[in-house]
Amino acid sequence: MKNNLWNILKKELRELFRDKKSLAMMLVIPIFIPLLVIGMSALFESQTNMSVDEYNRIGFSYTLSEVEESLAKEMDIEVVAGTEDELADAYQKGDVDLYITKNANHYVIHSNGSDTSTYAASLMETYFNAYKESLQQKYLQNNNINADEILNIITVEQQVVEEENFFANYIKNYAFLFILMAITVSATYPATDTTAGERERGTLETLLTFPIKSRDIIVGKFLGVSVSSIITGLLSLALAVVSLIITKDMFSIYEGVDVMYSASSILYAIVVIVTYSFFISGLCIAIASTAKTFKEAQSALTPLTFISLFPGMIAFMIGITTTPLLAVIPFLNFTTIFTDITAGNANVLHIVLMMLSTIIYISIVLVYIIKQYKSEKVLFAK
Amino acid sequence: MIVVEHITKKFVRDVTKYKKEEFLADDDISFQAEAGEIIGILGPNGAGKTTLLRMMAGILEPTKGTITFDGMTYQDHEIEIKQQIAYLSGNTKLYDTLTPYELLKMCCDIYNVEKEKAEKRIAEVSQVLKMEAFLHNKIANLSTGQTQKVNIARCLVHDPKYYILDEATTGLDIISSQIILDFMKEERKRKKTILYSTHYMEEAENICDRVIMINKGKVIKIGTPAEIKKDTHTTNLRDAFFAMIGGVSNEE
Repeated sequence: MKNNLWNILKKELRELFRDKKSLAMMLVIPIFIPLLVIGMSALFESQTNMSVDEYNRIGFSYTLSEVEESLAKEMDIEVVAGTEDELADAYQKGDVDLYITKNANHYVIHSNGSDTSTYAASLMETYFNAYKESLQQKYLQNNNINADEILNIITVEQQVVEEENFFANYIKNYAFLFILMAITVSATYPATDTTAGERERGTLETLLTFPIKSRDIIVGKFLGVSVSSIITGLLSLALAVVSLIITKDMFSIYEGVDVMYSASSILYAIVVIVTYSFFISGLCIAIASTAKTFKEAQSALTPLTFISLFPGMIAFMIGITTTPLLAVIPFLNFTTIFTDITAGNANVLHIVLMMLSTIIYISIVLVYIIKQYKSEKVLFAK
Repeated sequence: MIVVEHITKKFVRDVTKYKKEEFLADDDISFQAEAGEIIGILGPNGAGKTTLLRMMAGILEPTKGTITFDGMTYQDHEIEIKQQIAYLSGNTKLYDTLTPYELLKMCCDIYNVEKEKAEKRIAEVSQVLKMEAFLHNKIANLSTGQTQKVNIARCLVHDPKYYILDEATTGLDIISSQIILDFMKEERKRKKTILYSTHYMEEAENICDRVIMINKGKVIKIGTPAEIKKDTHTTNLRDAFFAMIGGVSNEE
């Protein structure tokens, strides 16, 4: 009788590893992480290494002076002349990357937010700074003033203490965040199958007649789903690390960036993965057990996939770092601690707080599900 | 011995989207079942047979009344009672991904059958039910009759004292039904108590020692088939049932 928890867990694991859908969820989802890393690396690489030929077709609605023409030539700008209407039309058709109109000494750059437009706008900013400087120099010389003294009254030099690559860090962080999403997706199917699915298949009634306490049934099911989530999480982590190591040599955006995580970072990541797997498994079972049908359970669990990702994305975008308070807020704690680990700033206190608070949340969730499994409304819902 | 005293079960059902109402699925039911007896629970669909047997199997909790198995109640001895019970219903499904052997092994583990005994018991049950040929095939690949045999084997493997069989032959072909009826007769010989609900009156008349007729959640008659037929001046249980309810079926 003491082994009934183990008997239920054995049954759950046997079903899990023999069910093709559960296996696919567990093992196939992590494969998306290397694809994500390679895809994002290729995208950022193409953006950072865009050739000037791809954004240098600039429309001018006015005649360029000799100085302007020479500057344009020097900066590889392909000058396209035309009226404002003609250039607007050419811009719409993609024949120019942006166009410029002029009213006396006021210049207007017409562009949208596309990648080529942004690069072209940046090019024209440099062009106008150079043009402005040449006009200023000419004016000062005409008034017998030393232009170099005035224009270079101060000099500024930037020394980079530690080179940080935004794109590479972005990819590293998102690879880690997607591990949480993979765990969530992996937990939803077995959680649905073992609760609403078991009821729909008619095996729940049999299970309830066995001499097993509902506590053992629930904990056995919970551990079964957790095992599936942990396998997905650890496989995802391994693939994330391996794919980052491989892509480092393939893309120049990783130059000067250490993609290899330290042993302690890997250990912390494993702790977060295991803790999150237990948390999300409990939550998925709690939600799915109240659903009347398999379909209803799946619909109810879908938002969890997004909830697992969004707090981390937002925290990363606005630069939130983990505090003791954040370390106990579900979902946000896992993602912000993961971001800290990626940045090499993991804090043991935060990790301990995350673990302790999660144990409390899981206990509450399990007590709730055990109570649900005594409710006739849940067991025989039609 | 099973003693059922004044069992009542109240449910709440949706009348409309916003309106609910309470109703009694079983109302003040009392009876006793002795060792070596097959007791038939008869009644039309919705009479309260399944609810009664689910309460007896410990899946549902009665709103009122008590059920005792050899003096033990579910409140105090849930696990001990369930150790002695085998429950089989028409809706009972098995785990498709397991083989009959794995299922029986799991049942032995759950019912605390010793390892060496378990292997022997599985072999015995498989032989009796002629399951050797498909013992290691996946349940998903078995025919309805083979699945029903596995279901019976599941009930037999821990050698329970009480069988609770709810519409166990409903929807089965004549061969699969006969497997269950033969199994009941054999277990009666072994002094097991069997509670058997059905709406097949002829089947019950042939196999049951005593019959409890239920309609609208209430017991309308308890007795041997012969006693009931005599009391109602009829020649079969079907006519006896209609005679007692005034000739109108009460399907809900």
